[in-house]
Amino acid sequence: MDHVKKLFRLRHPYDTLKNDDLFVKAMRENCAWHYAHCPEYKAILEREHFKPEMIQHYDDLAKIPYIPTLYFKHHYLASRPDKKMILKVTSSGTSGHNQSKIGYDIYTILRDWGMVKRLFRYHKVWSLKPTHFVVFGYQPHKGNNKAIAKSSWGFTFTSPALSKDYAIRWVNGEYKVDLENIEKKLIRYAKGHHQVRSLGFPAYTFFLLQQMKAHGVHVKLPKGSKMTLGGGWKQFYAQACSKQEFYDLAHEVLGLEEKDIIEFFGAVEHPIMWTTCEKHHFHTPVYARVIIRDPDTFEPLPHGQMGLINLLTPISRAAPLTSIVTDDLGILHDEDCGCGISSPYLEIVGRVGLEDIKTCAAGAEDLLKGAKS
Amino acid sequence: MILANGQIFEESLQNSIISSLKERIPATLKGPKLDPEKIYAAAERLYQRVLKGEFDALAEPLLSMAHLSHETFLEYAKEFSGAGLKKKVELELGASPFAPQEVSPHHYAVRKPLGVLLHIAAGNVDFLPAYSVLEGLLAGNINLLKLPTGDKGLSVKLLQELIKEEPSLAPYIYVFDVPSTEIDTLKELSHYADAIVVWGGDLAVKGVREFADPNSQIIVWGHKLSFAYVDQTTSEEDLSDLAEDICLSNQMLCSSCQGIYFDGADEKDLESFAERFIAVLCATNAKMGPASLGMRAKSALSLLNERMEGRGKIYQKDGVSATIYPDSELVLSFLFRNLWIKPLPEEKIVEVLKPYRGYLQSCALLVDESKKTRVREQLFLAGLTRVVGPHMSLTEPLEAHDGAYALSRYTRIVDYVE
Repeated sequence: MDHVKKLFRLRHPYDTLKNDDLFVKAMRENCAWHYAHCPEYKAILEREHFKPEMIQHYDDLAKIPYIPTLYFKHHYLASRPDKKMILKVTSSGTSGHNQSKIGYDIYTILRDWGMVKRLFRYHKVWSLKPTHFVVFGYQPHKGNNKAIAKSSWGFTFTSPALSKDYAIRWVNGEYKVDLENIEKKLIRYAKGHHQVRSLGFPAYTFFLLQQMKAHGVHVKLPKGSKMTLGGGWKQFYAQACSKQEFYDLAHEVLGLEEKDIIEFFGAVEHPIMWTTCEKHHFHTPVYARVIIRDPDTFEPLPHGQMGLINLLTPISRAAPLTSIVTDDLGILHDEDCGCGISSPYLEIVGRVGLEDIKTCAAGAEDLLKGAKS
Repeated sequence: MILANGQIFEESLQNSIISSLKERIPATLKGPKLDPEKIYAAAERLYQRVLKGEFDALAEPLLSMAHLSHETFLEYAKEFSGAGLKKKVELELGASPFAPQEVSPHHYAVRKPLGVLLHIAAGNVDFLPAYSVLEGLLAGNINLLKLPTGDKGLSVKLLQELIKEEPSLAPYIYVFDVPSTEIDTLKELSHYADAIVVWGGDLAVKGVREFADPNSQIIVWGHKLSFAYVDQTTSEEDLSDLAEDICLSNQMLCSSCQGIYFDGADEKDLESFAERFIAVLCATNAKMGPASLGMRAKSALSLLNERMEGRGKIYQKDGVSATIYPDSELVLSFLFRNLWIKPLPEEKIVEVLKPYRGYLQSCALLVDESKKTRVREQLFLAGLTRVVGPHMSLTEPLEAHDGAYALSRYTRIVDYVE
């Protein structure tokens, strides 16, 4: 798997143009690996009369059969035996029925780790300064296999931790939301000298900021503090809260500048750490490509038009995540946003349909209601 | 938002208002009886205000969302005029509903309200919570309404206006905003209720059964499934009207078409019907304008998944679809102009559909005239409650809900000897 290895060793994480060729080769390798090791994936390709060798040019990427994330919720696809899977993570649906379960082997984890290191360095997330971590998410415990819990725990190692506080605490065998404690801690840390780093769902963060505003809190977190967001904006489609309102609120309540707010996005079916630039755009990293597809025909759409998001990456050796279609609608933008990164950026517009899909957000709402009673 | 005694209160007062029901309810029950004539008169005054356009601003966004015209709105409103409501009561309870009937010499039976109803309303139709309370009032009950999650305030507004028109209704209407997760509060509310009226799916009903007392009466208006029944003779016109109903409702209502049962089991016949129907559906869809991108994207993913699972024969074009499945199971479609086509020979109607008794509602019966009456009886035998034409989604306020008149379920019959 030389090309995949090479791709994940590229020094510049956003130099996509120069590396299209390498990406195509890595995808061919990855597709061939799963074709040979995952009988179900082979069947999917054969049904579409597709062979990995057919990936020769950049345009061929669009022809790779794509798998909807919905399919992973009912099928466990793997190209490595169970004993080689170091980690099995589930997506953040709240009921077992709606969760994807995906295995990760050591190769995939190392590639992922290499990518995270490089992206954290590029976006200046690493810090040697002592830090208070505030996680607007789940406190880890061994029964929680949700990807979001694992990644937020990992985040608390990006600098030396002075403290770790969690908004959703594991108390007497169940998760409870405790926003009051977080509010108190943030006010206390604002009076100190050590930087604060927060990570969490935009939903919790937004509720907390609103609550703090209602309590009349206006503080300034120490220099070097950052707010990082991950886990989707799904709940905001309905609330119609614009991201700008969110940034303004963070500035008003915690004294954070827009550039101090970083957003991440990824999925268990697409373990690439998409990270926003200083203008809040998800530029395509070298490790992935996006094709926006017309929902009526599944044909690729020109940049600038809205459609289904097809994500491609050769990252996983453990599961055929080569080309997947998410249940979000998005637009790929070519414009230069002025942040210095030249690759196109992905705008996630919203979730498809109206059906009540239980997601992190819906779960969050339930937990918050529990906290109110 | 909380409504009690005709006034709006802060949410923080919810618990104290709920505890005060202990005194308020018996006081209301012992007080003057709810006079149906007063309800009709209040409704009539509200209806006149509707005619003057006073509620247009409130109604327009909802109408445009449902693709309904202003005329339809006025027609609908008319059902809630004084005369409309009176007609409903007479239809459901008879001409003098609360008058004693002599059963045998000196022995009388008389209809009485149940007393107190707790309404657990669903959120799929904005106006539904207020409608449920209105039915409770017509049957003479005190009504406690739990608003659905995400309620936009329309119901409270309407009930408030009704009370403004007739202040004596105030002690008969309480609205609370209790999240479904606050079991203790719901339990407390249910203690005051003679019956709990639940609108919603199996999950909602299960939730209510969990907090209700074992001997509480639960009146369920559940989620239902409806379909069309066709044969080889079904006309283009009927198919086109059905397609229009599918596009208008996006298959979102209990009474809208989830799929089509075909009288026959021959694969070739099913295929030629599917080809005919998809052409009609495409034409209607083009005429009416496509569903939103989000809706189309959702169906496209469901169909892609179906294809990967190797299920069904899919006819898909321009964001609409019909899929032939070999089984006869009654299921929800992918909605938004995507439906299933399944074989169901006439002689199997009862045995195939009977197991779905709790979910059956409407059928658009579009078969050959000569067998319509026979098939209709089969459908009723299977458990359906409504057999109609191709415009199946539109229901009238005067229609029974799922085979029963609400008002008779919200009352009881007591006997006495004189």
